[in-house]
Amino acid sequence: MKLRRFLPVLASLLLPILPAHAAETLTISVWGGTFRDALAESVGKRFTEQTGVELKYVTGSAVTRLNKEKLAQGADTPDVLYTTGHVGWLYKSSNLLDDLDVSKIPNVSTLPAGAMLSPAHIGAWSYVYTICYRQSLVPAGMTFTSWKDLWNPELKGMIGLHEIDPSHIIAVASKLSGVDAANWADAQPLLLELKPNIKAYYASDAMSQDQLSSGETPISVALASNCYHLAESNPDIKVAIPSEGAVGSTDVVAVMSASTKKDLAYKYINLVFDPQVQSELAKALKVSPANPAAVLPDELKDLPGMYASPEKFRAETIFVDNKLRSEKLGEWRQWFSENMMNQ
Amino acid sequence: MATMSGERPRFATYMIVPAGIVAVVIVCAMALMLQDAFRVHVPGTLDVGGFTLDNFWRLNRPIYTKAFLDTLLYAALCASLDLLLGYPIAYVLVRARSGWLKSAILIITLMPLFSGDIVRSYGWLVVLGKYGVINMFATGTGLVAEPLQLLYTPTGVVIALVQYAMPVMVIILTASISHVDTNLERAASSLGASPIATFFRVTLPLTLPGILSGTITIFAWTLSAFATPQIIGGGRVQTIATLIYGVGFSNFNFPLAAALSLTALILIALVLAVGGGLARMVITARGLT
Repeated sequence: MKLRRFLPVLASLLLPILPAHAAETLTISVWGGTFRDALAESVGKRFTEQTGVELKYVTGSAVTRLNKEKLAQGADTPDVLYTTGHVGWLYKSSNLLDDLDVSKIPNVSTLPAGAMLSPAHIGAWSYVYTICYRQSLVPAGMTFTSWKDLWNPELKGMIGLHEIDPSHIIAVASKLSGVDAANWADAQPLLLELKPNIKAYYASDAMSQDQLSSGETPISVALASNCYHLAESNPDIKVAIPSEGAVGSTDVVAVMSASTKKDLAYKYINLVFDPQVQSELAKALKVSPANPAAVLPDELKDLPGMYASPEKFRAETIFVDNKLRSEKLGEWRQWFSENMMNQ
Repeated sequence: MATMSGERPRFATYMIVPAGIVAVVIVCAMALMLQDAFRVHVPGTLDVGGFTLDNFWRLNRPIYTKAFLDTLLYAALCASLDLLLGYPIAYVLVRARSGWLKSAILIITLMPLFSGDIVRSYGWLVVLGKYGVINMFATGTGLVAEPLQLLYTPTGVVIALVQYAMPVMVIILTASISHVDTNLERAASSLGASPIATFFRVTLPLTLPGILSGTITIFAWTLSAFATPQIIGGGRVQTIATLIYGVGFSNFNFPLAAALSLTALILIALVLAVGGGLARMVITARGLT
């Protein structure tokens, strides 16, 4: 009699361990916001239509997601990874990525040499970090024709920089100091001179947009794509490409080694490099496509920070080798937090 | 189930096993984490090397000693300000005769607890910003010519932390004030003491255990605050918690983060032990036990 009373309770405890009958899903690890939405629209919908497989997204900053995967060590892993080129090297060195079988990705056959940043990750699009500013809140006539303008004493307490990844400003300081990023120690005095002009650091792209929009940091070294999106609703926001060039970066796509759905992952990745999809992503994200067969919309072709070819991108940006960037990131971050970020 | 003597065991006896399991799990997890403090950091990986004390020597660098001292200062300021601002609220909450007034104060005081640290901190971004509520009022009324710099400063962090901890201080003080026998206050009044004298010579001393308990609690709580200093500080105000996060999860230097954590744990334990000891001395000396 007593056991019968507890049967419903026991049954409800057993429910979670019964096999799920949900549709198969493919898990995509990506940044949130605009990137997730654009990929869901351009790649996700097509993928689901073609395969019947639903997509699930896990979002966060590149470094946050890397930390999570390093700690999880394959448990509950996503299947496809989007991340930045240098963070991709950190995934590879942690044995979290499979070497790509490009025979399963026909759409990458037209990509130029150098698109494969490593055997495990391939560039999906390129973009720049540059100077974005509120024209009405900076000294009159200031247009940032050179990165050196950031050191202008009139800009005291006005600049926002990336908290987690200082590689952009370090690449700039190295260029201005006449050294390459590998010898960045020679650029440290110049970096320390910039300190009085820095107001705050942002931990995410969303925070950089908040700081710029609200005017807390009237000047920001930020992702050009995000600044163009802000400028659509606030014409006071301007994007400047200094004469030395913006800081170029590449986002990559890869297959997680612990994934159990690799065939589906390859089908998904092949779609990412479809010329039509690449055009749509370029328009939505204001990024430069990786596939030369992609057609850049007219309104984007002449936009500062957009490059019609990977060759033009490499020639006109301050580009730090992604492997070097991944090796130096910890050292850069440590120095930055100990010398630049304190009051 | 009866004991050997035939008495039924106390209810608390049944809690020993689950409590013990939880305690063992927590201690083992902390030990695993803290042992990293004595290991060499291998850059770019989660692996650790051999035994070293270098992580502790590194804490002598100005940024780390400044972060420790600043965190202690912010916690002390928060505890003091919460006491000064929270005591009148708690007093009115206990002594008000009007039921609706008590309810209103209680709801307003406790409401921040329901919104979470991050939501409250983002709210403070709007209030403290250069074009936020405070500056709009200050510049609009002519109190200041230029907006005050509150965001991304220690001042802004302390203001937000005071509000973050205020509900807890009010709860502790309310409990203490409600235990003061009002007959003692009436006796003092009947002997000619003014209301102010009655408060300072009767009520306040009798609430000393609550004052000390609330101050120590808020001090310990704000020492470990993370979300508020991270958001309001904007990377320019470093506390122990934000440094540990940055060192561990941005630099991947978990041995140094563990050394910071262990040092912070020992420091906080020492401060609380000294503070608690002083509090007990004061309470005993005043015969308030």
